[in-house]
Amino acid sequence: MLRFVARRLITSVLVLAVLTAIVFILARIVPSDPAVIYAGPKAPPAELDRVREHLGFNRPILEQYFDYVAKLITGDWGQSLATKRPVLDELFTRLPATLELIGFAMVLAVSAGVILGVVASRRPGGFIDGAIRFLSIGGISVPAFWLGLLLQLLFVGGLGILPATGQFSNSIKYSNPISHVTGLPLLDSMITGNGVAFTDGLQHVILPALTLAAYPLGLVARMTRAAMLDVMNQDYIFTARAYGLRETAIRWRLALKNALPPVLSIAGMAAAYALTGTFFVEAVFNWPGIGQFATSSMLAVDYPAIIAITLMGATAYLLANLLVDILQSRIDPRVSMS
Amino acid sequence: MALSFPHPARTVLVTATAAVVALSAAGCSPAAPKASSGPDVFSVAASAAITTWDPVRSFSTEALYMGNIYEPLLWKNPAGSAEAYSPAIAESWSASADGKSWTFKIRSGATFHDGEPINAAAVKASIDAARDHAAASFIWAPVESVTAPDDSTVTLQLKYAAPMDLVASSTYGAWIVAPKALAASAKNDKYFEAGIDAGSGPYTIDSYKPGSKVVLKKYDGYWNKKAASHVDFVDISITPDAVTAQQMLTAGEVDYATNIPLENLKTLASDPKFTVKDFNSPFNFLAMFNTSRAPLNDPEVRRALSYAIPYKEIIDIGGQGYGTQSHGPAPSGIFPYSQDVPQYSQDLEKAKQLLASAGHADGMNLKLTYASENPAEARFVPLIKDAFAKIGVKLDVKAELFNQQWDSAKADPQSAQDIFVLNYWPTYSDAGSDNLTTLFHSSEKPSFNLSYWKSPEYDKLVDKAATLTGTDRDAAQGLYKEAMDLLYREAPAAFLYDARTVSVVPAGLEVPAYNENYPFTAFFAPIKRAA
Repeated sequence: MLRFVARRLITSVLVLAVLTAIVFILARIVPSDPAVIYAGPKAPPAELDRVREHLGFNRPILEQYFDYVAKLITGDWGQSLATKRPVLDELFTRLPATLELIGFAMVLAVSAGVILGVVASRRPGGFIDGAIRFLSIGGISVPAFWLGLLLQLLFVGGLGILPATGQFSNSIKYSNPISHVTGLPLLDSMITGNGVAFTDGLQHVILPALTLAAYPLGLVARMTRAAMLDVMNQDYIFTARAYGLRETAIRWRLALKNALPPVLSIAGMAAAYALTGTFFVEAVFNWPGIGQFATSSMLAVDYPAIIAITLMGATAYLLANLLVDILQSRIDPRVSMS
Repeated sequence: MALSFPHPARTVLVTATAAVVALSAAGCSPAAPKASSGPDVFSVAASAAITTWDPVRSFSTEALYMGNIYEPLLWKNPAGSAEAYSPAIAESWSASADGKSWTFKIRSGATFHDGEPINAAAVKASIDAARDHAAASFIWAPVESVTAPDDSTVTLQLKYAAPMDLVASSTYGAWIVAPKALAASAKNDKYFEAGIDAGSGPYTIDSYKPGSKVVLKKYDGYWNKKAASHVDFVDISITPDAVTAQQMLTAGEVDYATNIPLENLKTLASDPKFTVKDFNSPFNFLAMFNTSRAPLNDPEVRRALSYAIPYKEIIDIGGQGYGTQSHGPAPSGIFPYSQDVPQYSQDLEKAKQLLASAGHADGMNLKLTYASENPAEARFVPLIKDAFAKIGVKLDVKAELFNQQWDSAKADPQSAQDIFVLNYWPTYSDAGSDNLTTLFHSSEKPSFNLSYWKSPEYDKLVDKAATLTGTDRDAAQGLYKEAMDLLYREAPAAFLYDARTVSVVPAGLEVPAYNENYPFTAFFAPIKRAA
């Protein structure tokens, strides 16, 4: 297994290297002057020249690229042109908020998706199956920004029971400040017993997590249903029935375990994809995470930030893939790690 | 064999339902919990991102915060005020008769946030730093030397007469900064970026979370007690999306929002909980014609297009009614704006006649570019396309991010767009030395003069006007007016509209009038809750 992981990590590095080259070149061939982005549109020519010299924009692009990669390896991911701060600092400042959002969304998507998929597979073509299919395909098809606005209209404007935006109420900072333990504010509020902040944070995460969960929930539900239908036609299921095992036990214990590998695979990919889903969701809910930073970086053609976000997204995909493969081999011994 | 398992689906569903019910019950008042006692906090949703905390290098949207933390020598008051300026760091100021020597008397007894005294040496150090490395250092270009003969006097000797009162009140490159911080930033150009401030204004930076939150704290030692903050803290949620900011305001999550989408203002205006007010702004929109090549190198064709533009509809749709048709490139209320500068109005028949007399009766194909991130431009550009189609001009419209649109336009005028739609505003409140000069003065290499227009007659007028602005503003105004008349006749651009800035004021809040001289700044200190 160690050899497998090592081999996968090596190929991952190669993928990331190629990706870096593509994104770097794409970001630099689009018409926009990084020195102008850095210094401002009305900066005088002398100041622009100083910036080009200082940040190396006046050197050949290949030289800039190799210099960039060399620094990347040593942990220097460059400086944001828009915010003048190290890109890694920008990302790590925002990462906890995004991780909490994706974490909540994926727990919701996988647990609800698996349940709905199993329930739908009981009577294929029946009313419940149809209703769940409608929900699943709706979740996959509906744009996140539109669903987010609808949820806000319903739960904020209509029912008035949940907050519209943000990670915590503004007043929390003054009335019940959160102590720093792990850097994940919701988790920190729970660990430190700050009940007011924890409840407030949970209320704030519900709507964005629901919005972000819609797409993976639909995928997981559809995949679970298909896998369950396949498994429920296997001989060992008939054998279990013949032995008098209860239908509930057959379905939820025997069949579901064997239907899980493909579901896990799709859930892993969906979790990595959720990083790009946050671009829209964080904008709608003013969630202070990486998605908002990505959107503003793209609008500003802030190429060090864009490359860093792309690398982070790609790394998340590769790691999710690796993790899924390892988990699958644990669940199903027939899956070989060779 | 009979086995019994708890039903996992049921368990999860029951748990989840209980959690949602509990949370919803706890969250019946979503804006809660409020601190029953404790500091008085004013919460704001603002779109302004911070590109730097360095007050010298600042040249972007962080001006929203800078104007609350730092002070210039003087403040420029909104158009129509009884006095053109209000004293800030300078108590008084005067210029020599030839406009080449300016003296500022520095107030005594005031301190920076770090406790250092505000004196002439500090002012000189700030101006020297701005001249040396401010992004807007060009505003100090007329200055030959800065001297501080005593603790309360700063003198600027100029190479040529210039309006240093306007320069000293600029929203960029004119903040007065505590000397120790200036010295620290000279050694480390990232000194300010963690959110350090070194101003003398009514607020200090309490905390800063990049991309998310800025908290300003009342500065108790502020010299101007009449203009001190009414609250202990201003808690600003950085909210790039205007619709989200509106949601926050209407849901009661913030007390005030600085950016509300124009298209939703009618809804808010009909809500008794809000009052919608509009003010002059320095932002205007223009369509710059590529005069470097056919067919728009012919003034007759440019005039034809100017007659084809649907100005009223552009304001109604693009500006949602919040705008006035431009009289040339100087925005309404900003020197040297003049209502006497003539305007075009839509006359399609006349446009067709002019096109025919210019030899284009069969029409033509033109390419227009605009900034995709600008919602007003996205709304009104189709109106131009439709209107041009009526006179046989087929418009190929391309939306690009502004940085890309601008970079393509600067590359080679011969292969660039025919029409460049631009949203422009002056760096400081002198549209003569900025808008009129930057946009239309001849230059070898294009920057913002994206009409690529070259007129020695025009250059002469604006060059002469610039030298008179510091000494004889009426004479300068007259020359600029002549220059704008020439722009009308030669039509290197169509002047679409001067946008008005809108403020949505919640009931029970007193918000000061918008100051077009500080277009990105929301001044928080004068805001107060009604008794």
